[in-house]
Amino acid sequence: MIFYAITPILIGSFGNYCIPLMIGARDMAFPLLNMLSFWFAFASGVVLLASLCLPLGAAAGAWTSYPTLSTLIGSPGLGQTFWCVAIFLLGISSTMGAVNYVTTVITLRAPGMGYFDMPLTVWGLWLTAILNAIFVPVLGAGVMLLILDRVFGTTFFLAGASATAGSGDPVLFQHVFWIFGHPEVYILILPAWGIVSDLLSFFARKPAFGAKATALAMTSISILSTLVYGHHMFTTQMSPLLTQAFMTMTMTISIPSAIFFANWLGTIWKGSIRFDSPMLFSLGVVFVFGLGGLTGLHLGTTTTDLYLHDTYFVVGHFHYTMAASVLLGGYAGIYFWFPKMFGRMMNETLAKIHFWGTTIALNGIFFGMLMIGYGGMHRRTYNPFVYESLTKLIPINTMVTWSAIIMGAFQIVFVYNFLKSLMSGEKAPQNPWNVGTLEWTISSPPPHHNYTEIPVVRCGPHEFGNPNLKTGRDFQYQTEELVEG
Amino acid sequence: MVLISGSMLFATLLMGYSLFRSSSSTWPPEGIQAISMGYPMISTATILLSSWFCSRIRGNVAVNDFRSAKMNLNTTLILGVLFMFIQTLLWNEMKTSGLFIGSGIFSSVVYGFTWIHAAHVISGLLVLGWLRFVLRPATQNLGQKVLNVEKFWHFLGVIWLILFISLFVI
Repeated sequence: MIFYAITPILIGSFGNYCIPLMIGARDMAFPLLNMLSFWFAFASGVVLLASLCLPLGAAAGAWTSYPTLSTLIGSPGLGQTFWCVAIFLLGISSTMGAVNYVTTVITLRAPGMGYFDMPLTVWGLWLTAILNAIFVPVLGAGVMLLILDRVFGTTFFLAGASATAGSGDPVLFQHVFWIFGHPEVYILILPAWGIVSDLLSFFARKPAFGAKATALAMTSISILSTLVYGHHMFTTQMSPLLTQAFMTMTMTISIPSAIFFANWLGTIWKGSIRFDSPMLFSLGVVFVFGLGGLTGLHLGTTTTDLYLHDTYFVVGHFHYTMAASVLLGGYAGIYFWFPKMFGRMMNETLAKIHFWGTTIALNGIFFGMLMIGYGGMHRRTYNPFVYESLTKLIPINTMVTWSAIIMGAFQIVFVYNFLKSLMSGEKAPQNPWNVGTLEWTISSPPPHHNYTEIPVVRCGPHEFGNPNLKTGRDFQYQTEELVEG
Repeated sequence: MVLISGSMLFATLLMGYSLFRSSSSTWPPEGIQAISMGYPMISTATILLSSWFCSRIRGNVAVNDFRSAKMNLNTTLILGVLFMFIQTLLWNEMKTSGLFIGSGIFSSVVYGFTWIHAAHVISGLLVLGWLRFVLRPATQNLGQKVLNVEKFWHFLGVIWLILFISLFVI
């Protein structure tokens, strides 16, 4: 889901759609590279799905693909190899895309748009791309070495492979993987943070509280994320000094996270809130990310992590922070930009039904998981109930399953809404949400080349509620001079 | 930007390598002889020479001297292909001395890293070939394209130098 849902939708789709429009550009900096990036991702999907048809089955190593399970000893046959190849291709795709986004944001901003005049959505996507470009090759190297181990018989990850010829080290893979893996989870969440930061401001009709601080907090989180990877490896018997170092760094990351979370709350506080569907989903993100982020503290402390590692508590934590926040943030983005993309409005009533059903069920699933994980239920076991003490958790587990089924059912509402609105939704005006960022200054949908004339930016993206405005609007377009008293 | 990504790839490989070496009391491990330095040294000389010729292309293009530019580019290409050929000689020599890809961690490292470098060299040769094709006055932004290709080629040379020192010298 990380690689084939969040990456293509949040980073691939929103990135390619929103970045040029919001910075006033006609296209991305490298259109050909962009196309290659898409087709590599497609090829990667084909390879992975093909692996389902192999005689010995598809990959069974989980997304982390730890050796020795993922070497030929633990996973004979081609399934895991196909997985490695698919991930390698996807890595190439992500890296190419990332180079494109970074260059586009740096070079193609409209005149007058300084970095802090960019909407926070673009900040989120840009920081994601920077992390992507630097850390995906690390995964590429790890996976490449695993391919060499599986196909050519190298011994990078096989311990004691030959008594006299020196040995490989399975834990090396864990290091390589998590040096990629930790920045990766921030890669996945940054676009959603950016989108929510903007949407909260737009629908509270207030400037984004501490917008510059939010941008800087997201940047410092990106930088810090590179230093904390060891917190995924607390149980690998590394030296206590090292675990303490990683624990301290992990706690430090919670500070900028708290800063921009407080900024979110400051944005909504005393705002004139419009409870349209994008706003409902954004408020949903505020709730789930707050909860998920807090549970991260339990996992960041070595002592508690020793108990909670590989339990459903972890699963609950990362689903709240990554899946729930990204899903709700993604839906917020879709409901928000659908009018711009397709020139039609989505049905608000169905959207609200979709929101409440999804959010309540989602909390059922993942809060349930937090509970059973706390009770000790392990991840990735075929039947956890062989353990007597865990059988007490069966009712909660049942609740989780039912919530999942209900949540799945509510997505049908979304699909129906999406398709129906595409075909016969009400025609959208140029700026249905009354927001001042650049994409709302052109028609819905925009013409092929976006901007006939490149706009000149004269104010920031969150100029709401300026008391000096006399035009009857409560916001300013980014192309207008800020109205002083 | 691309060079940073590529550097991260090789940085990861080197990190793994340093972990293996630091945790092993002798290197090469017991029973393996060190690889003789002949072919690696010739490889190094070849690739560095090719980088030198590559750096001359930009100056030629700046003064619109396409004949010299093409000559320098051809020389770079030939030296690049020669580098690949010498790599195959190196691999053959390793095989005759009993070092196969599956012979343990030492050969895993040497074969693995030089293969990955070689794969990038081949893509570099393809890029040089493309440049040969567009080396005409009519090409837009030629100066920038030549500069980018040259940087990539130098990058490959630098990586080889690092590999040479870490795998073969020390």
